[in-house]
Amino acid sequence: MLRYIATRFVVWIPSVLLVMLGVYALAYYGAGDPIKLIFLRAPGDVAYNPERIEAIRESAGLNRPFLVQFGSYIWNLLHGNFGNSLSSGRSVWAMVSAAAPVSFKLALCSVILTAVVAIPLGLIAALNQNTRTDYAILGSALFLWAIPAYVAGPMLMVLLILVLPGSAVPYGWGGIFDVRILLPLFVLSFQPIALIVRQTRAAVIEVLSEDFVRTARAKGVPETMVALRHILRPVLTPVVTQLGLIMITIVNGAIFVELVFGLPGLGRLTVKALTNTDYPVILAVTLIGSFLVMISNLLVDVLYPLLDPRANDIRRSR
Amino acid sequence: MSVVPVTTPAETDVEPPVSLWRDAWHRLRRNRLAVFGLMVVVILAFTAAFGPYLTPYDFLSQDLSARNLAPSMSHLFGTDDLGRDVFSRVVYGTRTAFLVAVVVTFIAVLIGVSLGAMAGFFGGLLDKIVMWLTDMTMSIPNLLLVVVINASLKSPISSWMEGRYLVTLNPIYRETVWVDFLLVFGSMALISWPPYARLVRAQVLSIRSRPYITAAQALGLTNRIILMRYVVPNALGPLIVAVSAGLGTAMVLESAFSFLGVGVNPPTPSWGNMISDGLRVWQHYPHLLAAPAAVLGLASVAFSFLGDGLNDALNPRGAK
Repeated sequence: MLRYIATRFVVWIPSVLLVMLGVYALAYYGAGDPIKLIFLRAPGDVAYNPERIEAIRESAGLNRPFLVQFGSYIWNLLHGNFGNSLSSGRSVWAMVSAAAPVSFKLALCSVILTAVVAIPLGLIAALNQNTRTDYAILGSALFLWAIPAYVAGPMLMVLLILVLPGSAVPYGWGGIFDVRILLPLFVLSFQPIALIVRQTRAAVIEVLSEDFVRTARAKGVPETMVALRHILRPVLTPVVTQLGLIMITIVNGAIFVELVFGLPGLGRLTVKALTNTDYPVILAVTLIGSFLVMISNLLVDVLYPLLDPRANDIRRSR
Repeated sequence: MSVVPVTTPAETDVEPPVSLWRDAWHRLRRNRLAVFGLMVVVILAFTAAFGPYLTPYDFLSQDLSARNLAPSMSHLFGTDDLGRDVFSRVVYGTRTAFLVAVVVTFIAVLIGVSLGAMAGFFGGLLDKIVMWLTDMTMSIPNLLLVVVINASLKSPISSWMEGRYLVTLNPIYRETVWVDFLLVFGSMALISWPPYARLVRAQVLSIRSRPYITAAQALGLTNRIILMRYVVPNALGPLIVAVSAGLGTAMVLESAFSFLGVGVNPPTPSWGNMISDGLRVWQHYPHLLAAPAAVLGLASVAFSFLGDGLNDALNPRGAK
């Protein structure tokens, strides 16, 4: 197992290096001279003094070839040095570690909410296949899946402002036990919930036709026990495999949700960095996002054989 | 603008025994959600094609005496902070959304189908490379990457075009529309192709080993006939479903970019930048936010319902 995880990690590294190289190249060729980017923002006439600029360029190592600079960036990264923000001058590591807890808490709550809400709903829909309940659940899931976070969030806020006084509408961050987290949490979870409801329903319908379910029913096992023990367990396997996709939806969704609801997390940091073309921050956030997705895919692969022992054989033969 | 070629009359006329499409059409009509989706999509396509000629106001005409009006009979969705009619802007936004969705999906399908078909057909190293590319593209937060591409390449390309204009005096370099086209469409297609490649590769692999292909080969049918009569029709169903869902996704993606300020340039109305403008004043003028958001939501939901209905209609066995 350890060897497997190591292999996956080794495969992930070239892909993420390629992505980083792409973003770095965009920053290098697209954004223009980093020195001007830094000093044209700052007051003073440093930018207009060519000798001074050359001196800074020399001392910052910006006159070296592209690949050497990229290599030294990666080297610093490996030593935990993410560089400094171009717009504020603060250490990127400090900015990220201030913002990350907000996003992680929100994402964790979102995953839990998704599991708690979506799996039972999918089960109910499948057990009542082709009835009104089923259509209602499936239709709502399809509806939620199609509504982008930056539509759902603002629309809910508009609905609230029609019934509440303006100051009572939730906005901002007060920790996960604050009422204001409810709206962003739900909006962020809409798409994952829709995904898992449909996945669970499809999986349950497939399991329902299995022999062991028929046998269990035939020997008089109560329906609740059948649902919990014989149906839900095999169903969890395909559901867990969606974790990677859920992570992508949450990472993408957080950008919009945090912007709409004014949460000081990684998503808002990203948008700010984008509007300021603050490349050190953009690179760091891209790295974190891709790392999260990779870790969740890895987690899926590690959990899979625990849930479904048959998967082990397939993997060995691969 | 025929977005949903559910039945192709030419095919059904030439080959009477091919009842697959008619069959699917019947199944689709029985699905109420799908019919609703189809209707909305047709209305939106009509709006995108002819809407700009039917709107009561120009999308740019400002009326500073009628700013931030609430919805009324003369202004269905009200007016914005410059006194522009929101309804007309939403209608123009439909055109932007459809244009982006159709072009992006077309490019993405082109890339995805050719890569996927080659990977499935030739296998070996090519297959490995294509699959690695798809896995990689799908396993990074793609939205972020595209936004970075857009944000950083926009100004150098614009300044390059400005430079070209100064040298050549050719007015074509003054059209910022081309920058939008190249960057927005190109980068969106860049992240949209992997699902199509995966789908087509899987289809080709599974169809190639089916007994009816072996039977056709044993009967001595030429590769061309096998390809046209057996492989393509069987692979087409899932692809149509994917395209229908993909159109909706591309539409949402475009407004996501405009929302973040890296989509099509501001004077062109887009649902996304209308939403982000509305977000600044939503506490005082909720209609500026609600109108574009509701239309975008409706469009996305319609494509999703239609795609789901097509999936049931074209793949009756429910095979994934």
